[in-house]
Amino acid sequence: MGSFNVVNYSLRPSKSVQRQIIFEGVRLLHDHLDLDGQVYVGFGSVWFTDFVLAHKLLGIRDMVSIEADDVGFRRAKFNAPYATVRVVHGRSTTVLPELYKDELITNRPWLIWMDFDYEFDESMKDDIRALIENATENSILIATFNGNEMKYGNAPERPERLRELFGSVVPDELSKKACKDERMQQTLADLSLDFMRSVAAEQRRPGGFVPAFRAIYKDTTPMVTVGGILPAKGAARVASDVVKRESWPCWLSKPIVAPHLTTREAAVLQAQLPRAGKLSRALVQSLGFDLEDDQIEAFEAYYKHYPAFAQVIS
Amino acid sequence: MAAIERKADANPTKAFFVRIITKDISLEDCILDLIDNSVDGAWRCEGSRPIGLQDGTDLSKYSIMIEATPDKFSIIDNCGGMSLDDAVEHAFSFGREATEDHDDYSIGVYGIGMKRAVFKLGGNIRVRSTYDDKGTRSAFAVPINVSKWLSNDKPPWDFDIEEDELLPNNGVEIVVQELTPGAAGAFESPAFLQGLRRTIARDYALHLNRGLRISLNGSEISGWKIELRQSEDFQPMRLEYKDKADNEEVSIEIIGGMAAPPPESNDPEEEADNEKQPHGWYVVCNGRIVLAGDKTAISGWGTDDWPNWHPQYAGFIGIILFTAANAAALPLTTTKRSVDITSDIYRRARPKMREVSTKWIAYTNQRKQAADEAKAKEALAVPVSIYSVAKRATVALPALVSRPAGERLANVHYSVPVSRLKKLAKELGGINMSNREVGLKSFNYTYDDLVGGE
Ligand SMILES: Nc1ncnc2c1ncn2[C@@H]1O[C@H](COP(=O)(O)OP(=O)(O)OP(=O)(O)O)[C@@H](O)[C@H]1O
Ligand SMILES: [Mg+2]
Repeated sequence: MGSFNVVNYSLRPSKSVQRQIIFEGVRLLHDHLDLDGQVYVGFGSVWFTDFVLAHKLLGIRDMVSIEADDVGFRRAKFNAPYATVRVVHGRSTTVLPELYKDELITNRPWLIWMDFDYEFDESMKDDIRALIENATENSILIATFNGNEMKYGNAPERPERLRELFGSVVPDELSKKACKDERMQQTLADLSLDFMRSVAAEQRRPGGFVPAFRAIYKDTTPMVTVGGILPAKGAARVASDVVKRESWPCWLSKPIVAPHLTTREAAVLQAQLPRAGKLSRALVQSLGFDLEDDQIEAFEAYYKHYPAFAQVIS
Repeated sequence: MAAIERKADANPTKAFFVRIITKDISLEDCILDLIDNSVDGAWRCEGSRPIGLQDGTDLSKYSIMIEATPDKFSIIDNCGGMSLDDAVEHAFSFGREATEDHDDYSIGVYGIGMKRAVFKLGGNIRVRSTYDDKGTRSAFAVPINVSKWLSNDKPPWDFDIEEDELLPNNGVEIVVQELTPGAAGAFESPAFLQGLRRTIARDYALHLNRGLRISLNGSEISGWKIELRQSEDFQPMRLEYKDKADNEEVSIEIIGGMAAPPPESNDPEEEADNEKQPHGWYVVCNGRIVLAGDKTAISGWGTDDWPNWHPQYAGFIGIILFTAANAAALPLTTTKRSVDITSDIYRRARPKMREVSTKWIAYTNQRKQAADEAKAKEALAVPVSIYSVAKRATVALPALVSRPAGERLANVHYSVPVSRLKKLAKELGGINMSNREVGLKSFNYTYDDLVGGE
């Protein structure tokens, strides 16, 4: 919500890579779970990038975009990419309870992506809790939030702040160290997933909550994406088998930091891949330009998901 | 009157033990029951002495390891185990016989804890024990298939005992599979497991502080440090006396005083936090904390001219320890999660508890009129462990000089979105700043800006 005023997505290659990976995971789930009639619920902003992917890649028809901003709402309606996209005006906390009762989409599995750009806060927590309590079986819940440590207070204050946010799942022995630098995003990911699991267990959702998504990515600020499946009772096994596979793409131990490349650089590098050995700096130089080693390595890791210009403006 | 030939059947049914009595206890308390048994085992190995505060017994060679996952629960200890005779004669019977006497300072008393716990946990149970049988190590196992066992109510009731391999150490291992939905669901929840961890850290604080090791899913739990603040003005009370329940001697020890300065405000948000705080009364029976941070009528609040708990009173901690050779004399409930308030020894202890509580209440009232002086004095008080609090019949609290009434005050009250409050708190100096403080600071900030300094 609101990110259309901040940056154009084309400048956020890591976000884009992350989004591709998550959708690839959801597509895999489509092969194993009964996701017929899936509905997409998200914050399409004015770009609707995720909505386009949901429709093209997953074939989802009915989609709802939540938009709180007044001007943003009108722009979103203007920009909605498909006839089946409905834009609803309001904050998620007020809109979601209406959607649980919306006849068109209740009793259908949801794919809901709460793609926030600010930090995890009290209302996000309420939304997530309510979603887990209300979502139809076989729904998939994904949340993205800002993982920048400074958003959670100064270093000594952070453990207490996290305790306030995540409640009883926070270990008593959570250290200041666990809330610093890159550890902070890992801690946020773990705690938010624990929180989701606990909510599902507390209210005895028959299929529980199967953690499935855990990705940290960084363009300018580190972001955390977490989520999972709320399977039907009989589908819990299948769901957890799929996400436990070696090949499951959405449980990332390392942050995604995709290099900022020009379209031309990306195209030239991509033409070298896949290859037997690793892309070397010497090779890049021989292609007529230059990059840092870690940029080369990151491109090689994510080239399949690296945004092509055409995709961004679609 | 002539007796009729026929009798009214009063035999129990197995289902009563498996399905009914398990309803009145929480899963968490069941796990504590199993820990209690291990602790009793360790204490027996140590020669069963009274468990007072002074006693310096070192329990660091004993460990209790608990694994709780959605598929399986297990607890294994190295606390000496139960003997085959124990198993044959009483360990698996429901309730202790009236004639059994116990004078081992245990916490086990009713003869139901283990059975109730395993039935609450699941349907496939295996209890293994390895023990010292007059110098040689021996082992046995008692497997229980609950649904099979339930299928026939005819007496005699018994469980098979099998030969078994030795455990690595003398002790008991209990493994439960085919967990009940309640247990499986709870063990799935990180919040439940964190809560359990916290409860263990608190309720076995006295044992953990003596070195006992308890781990849950591979990570060790460290006991709560219970501390009271002490200075020239602040002196906790510490009183000891003896009482008798049914001719059994019970030693009682009461400690109480300031654990932390009282709160600054009575903001509802902060009140909610307050509920979770460790303040209030603690009741300890043979070393086990059975009631923690109590703020209810059980420890006297709101009874006998004693006011209801109010967040203003936060900061107070009182501990009362009952110690008896025969646990039957202790004011315990069967779930060991509360106090039997009808117990005579407990009723007789209450006035002594009230005395220190009311002194604290008076202090917090007085304090409102002389907050600055109080804060300065409180800041000087340093935490000391309850083990080293000196004997003292009553609590000492500072006498405060109340401030003369000054200018009339205005109260300001308003609501804003939490997210905005947090952002402002961060800018004003700390994300965890209380709402009240944020309000005050922003008032002063605006005041300085628009009105200017005085
Ligand atoms: N871990 C253990 N180590 C040694 N003995 C044990 C252990 N667990 C159980 N026992 C034996 O089993 C008996 C029965 O335990 P159970 O918890 O059912 O009753 P209890 O402890 O006697 O009384 P309560 O109902 O108050 O707990 C104990 O008295 C003890 O002899
Ligand atoms: Mg017991």
